[in-house]
Amino acid sequence: MMIKIVIGGQMGKDEIKKSLIKLIGDRDVEITVKNDLDAAMAIQNGESDYYIGACETGAGGALAMATALLGSDKTVTVASPSKVLSEEEVADEINNKGKIAFGFTINTKDTVLPILVKYLVK
Amino acid sequence: MNVTTLINYLLIAAVGGVGSILANRGIAVFNDGLRPIMPEYLEGKITRKELAATSFAVSFGLIIGFGIPVSLGSTILVAHSILLSADVIGTWTPDTKWGTALAGIIGAIYGAGLLFGLSSIVALFKMLPFNFLPALSLMSGPILLAFCAFPALAVASQHSPKKGFITFGLTFLAYLLATKFGTFKVNGYTITLNAIGMSLLVAMICMIYFAAQIKGDGNSNASLVNVFSKRVGRIKGNWIWLSIMGGLITSASSMLILAVDILPQQLLVKNQVMEAAIATFARAIGFIPLVFSTAIVTGVYGMAGTTIIFAIGLLLKGQPIVAFLAGFVWMWIEVQLLAATAKGLDKFPGLRDMGEHIRTSLQDTIAIALLIGSAIACNKMAANIGFFWVIGFWLLNKKSKKPLVDMAVGPIATIAFGILLNILRVIMIF
Repeated sequence: MMIKIVIGGQMGKDEIKKSLIKLIGDRDVEITVKNDLDAAMAIQNGESDYYIGACETGAGGALAMATALLGSDKTVTVASPSKVLSEEEVADEINNKGKIAFGFTINTKDTVLPILVKYLVK
Repeated sequence: MNVTTLINYLLIAAVGGVGSILANRGIAVFNDGLRPIMPEYLEGKITRKELAATSFAVSFGLIIGFGIPVSLGSTILVAHSILLSADVIGTWTPDTKWGTALAGIIGAIYGAGLLFGLSSIVALFKMLPFNFLPALSLMSGPILLAFCAFPALAVASQHSPKKGFITFGLTFLAYLLATKFGTFKVNGYTITLNAIGMSLLVAMICMIYFAAQIKGDGNSNASLVNVFSKRVGRIKGNWIWLSIMGGLITSASSMLILAVDILPQQLLVKNQVMEAAIATFARAIGFIPLVFSTAIVTGVYGMAGTTIIFAIGLLLKGQPIVAFLAGFVWMWIEVQLLAATAKGLDKFPGLRDMGEHIRTSLQDTIAIALLIGSAIACNKMAANIGFFWVIGFWLLNKKSKKPLVDMAVGPIATIAFGILLNILRVIMIF
């Protein structure tokens, strides 16, 4: 089944899209770019499966609207200026806690995206 | 202690105290990332402990990695250093009458303590064997005019590189014209146009013009307002608290002791008050969509609202009482217009999207300007090795486990270098 990822948040959307395409390769994934509000609504309406967003804090511009609309039990800040989750922690958030929306600081893009892709796109 | 100093301490204590009370009662928080968590606590989905842990997690890194270090070396606080702390203090104190009072007291002590600490550090820096404050002041050199490039960058990323270059060219032209022909005599009075202000104005007109051309009939915000009308009502019901906070922040801003971000703070350090006001206003436009959307869906407002009050304070420089009244009234207006403005943004999706491009391009522009400024500052302290230090610091930060916010890298590298050189001087290596 095709996986649909929507890029919301605030910073570096095109770079995130490029990195995702590279990381995902030829696996069946649809990636769209939207503003934070529309992206969160796309998850709510079932148009997308996963939300990815970045900003300077990993929680504000990146994830605030998603958290507001989906609830914090669906969202997680993977990287903030004070904490970057380890691969094990990310895996746990996705596999056991049912998180579907992910925020991170733009400076951690290259560490975070490969981990997210590894566990979201199987 | 003179009267102005006393007023400053009282104001900053009041900002910290009332801010912590607002966060304690879930009326307003400064961190946009914390706002969506507040209703989950208010509805009992998470415990106070979880709320406190989240607020600490989203704010602490920014307080010690951005707010406080970028405020070092001056006595103008960057809002993050006090308002994010108010978020933390407010959520760490219990949700009871006594807890609210306690939040107010701790917040006030923290605010005054922070101002005292920063003033002491400035005094301390001056006494160091190698005084690097003069070199530090070079850091804000590039940002003075360079920040006017941000609208061009925002246009390029929202629309097309071509439109970005057009905006850039017009900004440049506006600066030239204002510098060359900006001074004229009217009835014996010499009037000088503010060249930075004029070029930024032209750049922003371009940016808004391009964005406003994108028309739409979406209803994302309108549907949010309908679904969350109770929460909008909650914000309106808290208007008195929000207005008091608005008045206090505006008053503190008018005394030039509190700036909303590092850009206006650096401009204020250079005594460019008008430029700082314009920059603050431009920045606020970028935050309106985010603050309003999160406020509507959560019922929790921004501690400084759209942050336009900071600009109002700067325009009323040196008049704390007038500024208080103006900020008080302005916050009331913002709260009343919350739903209508959000619905209006649906008609102009380009303007709503412009917000994120403004925020991102401002952050990028400030980061680069401060990076170059800090390289100049460090090289003034110690030739050649200064460049080595700053460039290496910037690049390694990107690879570090917990990278600093880009905007903070230059200032932190510079202050760290100044302190390092002092240590080296003491052991007679430098």
